[in-house]
Amino acid sequence: MLEEAGFVDVRIGPPVDTFGGAKGEEKARAYEVFGHSFLARKPG
Amino acid sequence: MTTLPVDPDRLREEVKEKYREVAIAPNATYHFHTGRIAADRFGYDRDVVGALPDQAVESFAGVGNPFELRRLEPGERVVDAGSGAGFDAFVAASQVGPTGRVVGVDMTAEMLKKARENADALGLDNVELREGLLEAMPVEDGGVDVVISNGVINLCVDKRATFDEILRVLRPGGHLQFADIANGRPVPPEALRDIDLWTG
Repeated sequence: MLEEAGFVDVRIGPPVDTFGGAKGEEKARAYEVFGHSFLARKPG
Repeated sequence: MTTLPVDPDRLREEVKEKYREVAIAPNATYHFHTGRIAADRFGYDRDVVGALPDQAVESFAGVGNPFELRRLEPGERVVDAGSGAGFDAFVAASQVGPTGRVVGVDMTAEMLKKARENADALGLDNVELREGLLEAMPVEDGGVDVVISNGVINLCVDKRATFDEILRVLRPGGHLQFADIANGRPVPPEALRDIDLWTG
């Protein structure tokens, strides 16, 4: 979606277990939800 | 015309209510980690976080580390989209230094109040907090070097409109660096329409 919006040089960082050990862990596991860092640049 | 899975105004009210709680009662139990536990989990610089007072860290409710793939450069003009109680804005201020500037934008009054109190307590005169939505940020066109965000874009119903708005405020060549959640398994349509799942 970032590229569709017009960003370039998109990078995605490794997954982090954002919800592990928290109350939301069960729902996160059900949909394989992880946190990621993203980096993108506006052309120009 | 984009069909949205939930009503944006209703979702915003639910999100405001959730993060109002995080501002007022940061040590309560939430579906996500908060405060220093979250910052440590996401790999923030321990020296930077350790130098911040509890009040400036306790309501941090991010989902990752927007500084992981790129450190900000001294002098950069930064917008923190969904700045909450200011934690990421304060980390950003430590990276851009006194010649840089950080504008935090948030829609939750209690978070903005806490962020302003924290910025004052830290003596950060290059951090400014403004009330607004990510889809309509009170920021001029093309005057920003970097937009950061943490765990907020996933709470915006219309992602494309949010990214369009970020592109509007960025200068050509400017960066978007953010942390957010992504799901490895598809979420069923009925779950996408369940507003309770959006806020945990």
